Amino acid sequence: MTDDRTTLAMLSEQLADAVATAGAALVAVHARPRLPSTGVHWKDGVVVTTEGTIRREDDIEVTLPDGRHIPATLAGRDRGTDLAVLRIASGSLPVATLGDPGTLRPGHLVLALARIDEGGPRAAFGAVSATGGKWRCWKGGEIDRRLQSDLEIYPGFGGGPLVDAAGRIHGVNSGGLSRALATTIPVSTVNRVMAQLLERGYVARGWIGAAMQPVQLDPTSRQRLKRDGGLLLLSVEPDAPASRAGLLIGDVIVALDGHGLDGFDQLLDVLGGDVVGKTLRLEVVRAGQPLSVDVVIGERPRRAR
Amino acid sequence: MMTMSPAFLSDPAERLRASVVGIANGRRGRRAAGGAGAAGAAIAWSGDLFVTSAHVVTASHATIVTRDGRAVPGEVVRRDAERDIAVVRAAEAGVPAAVAGDPYALRSGSLVFAVGHPFGVRDAVSVGVLQAVSPLPRGYGLNGNGSFVWIQADVRLAPGNSGGPVGDAQGRVIGVAAMVVSGMALAVPVSDVERFLSGLT
Repeated sequence: MTDDRTTLAMLSEQLADAVATAGAALVAVHARPRLPSTGVHWKDGVVVTTEGTIRREDDIEVTLPDGRHIPATLAGRDRGTDLAVLRIASGSLPVATLGDPGTLRPGHLVLALARIDEGGPRAAFGAVSATGGKWRCWKGGEIDRRLQSDLEIYPGFGGGPLVDAAGRIHGVNSGGLSRALATTIPVSTVNRVMAQLLERGYVARGWIGAAMQPVQLDPTSRQRLKRDGGLLLLSVEPDAPASRAGLLIGDVIVALDGHGLDGFDQLLDVLGGDVVGKTLRLEVVRAGQPLSVDVVIGERPRRAR
Repeated sequence: MMTMSPAFLSDPAERLRASVVGIANGRRGRRAAGGAGAAGAAIAWSGDLFVTSAHVVTASHATIVTRDGRAVPGEVVRRDAERDIAVVRAAEAGVPAAVAGDPYALRSGSLVFAVGHPFGVRDAVSVGVLQAVSPLPRGYGLNGNGSFVWIQADVRLAPGNSGGPVGDAQGRVIGVAAMVVSGMALAVPVSDVERFLSGLT
């Protein structure tokens, strides 16, 4: 029989090792009053944290594991996925060891880590609660995988990593995406958004410049097109992709780039991808007649903050 | 792959539980200490001395309730409201003393256990990990007590855990559960408890 006391002591040591390993790549991010948030040194000179914890864009500092404070500059922020990226001096601390969130299953033991002062990394302990495919969070961004846990995201833990028992980092924990469970933005989403933020400072999303409403198709069109519904154009902005493509109020868009459009989710899925500047084909019903229209996807105008 | 027996968590928890009692204010506190409500916990420390939180025992006398249901009268012999520690002497309670561990030997992520009577549930166990043994970080609440060193842990405490132990993976007491700040469990480190006890026998 295994000695239970030894087994438990080993588990305790392994968890503490995981915290030490992953904690070496964490900084405290000072970009809001009072309590800092946590940042992950994702690749050399680049720190990822959550967008919601960035309250000022200038005079940002990070605290390194050795207690030194160094300046950081905001490379970009994306409210939709709740991610922000900072640049710091190269070689300041070890780079995060990343895991594959696809290997995590409900029940796996995980830790949420934080660095909020000159002391060591902090940890919360729990289990993966739910995993799944692609989803859209309430802030509007597309998250590549569902990864939720019963971890307590304490003040200052936002922007910190979800870590497995071997110390590998599987994503960035967001305090703002869900109330019921802790939500982790997985590695692939962080990589995708980080690349865009480093390149242009924001995430470009596709835009056609029209207001729409989901509708049921008339019975004839339904039978002919083998589709149930579409998006009815309610207004078309002047000098926007939709008007340039000749779309009219009253048109019903039933497909975009081959994807049927029953509601907004499918439309946002297509426009959330790398489509800005590309020509995509729209399937439209106009006055009961099917019609194909090519539209050059624009870039969604950015709201003033 | 390492296999663990289903009981692997229960061993240190059982070691901790053996030294935990219920406690209530006054000479006739049995109902409060043994029944529902937010009765506190106390730890059998050595001889006839029990350690608990100062906010649990506010009178000069307290009643210890053992796991087998005996009510034993006790006297509050030392109390520090600011550090939130009190010592109660209860002769012939016959409870085995806890084994003291060292919180400074643990690291962030080390497993910790808490035993107490949350909302009146006797000797309930919760499990979590250590966050830090240090003064509270700037930005966390508790103005005024910020200079004390606290065991800070990710472990669930509720009313009724006060005065009970926070222990390590070996079932040794590393601190006395005191309060919850910003969701985080705070406990008074064993070294502070022993300093507070010095001279008492």
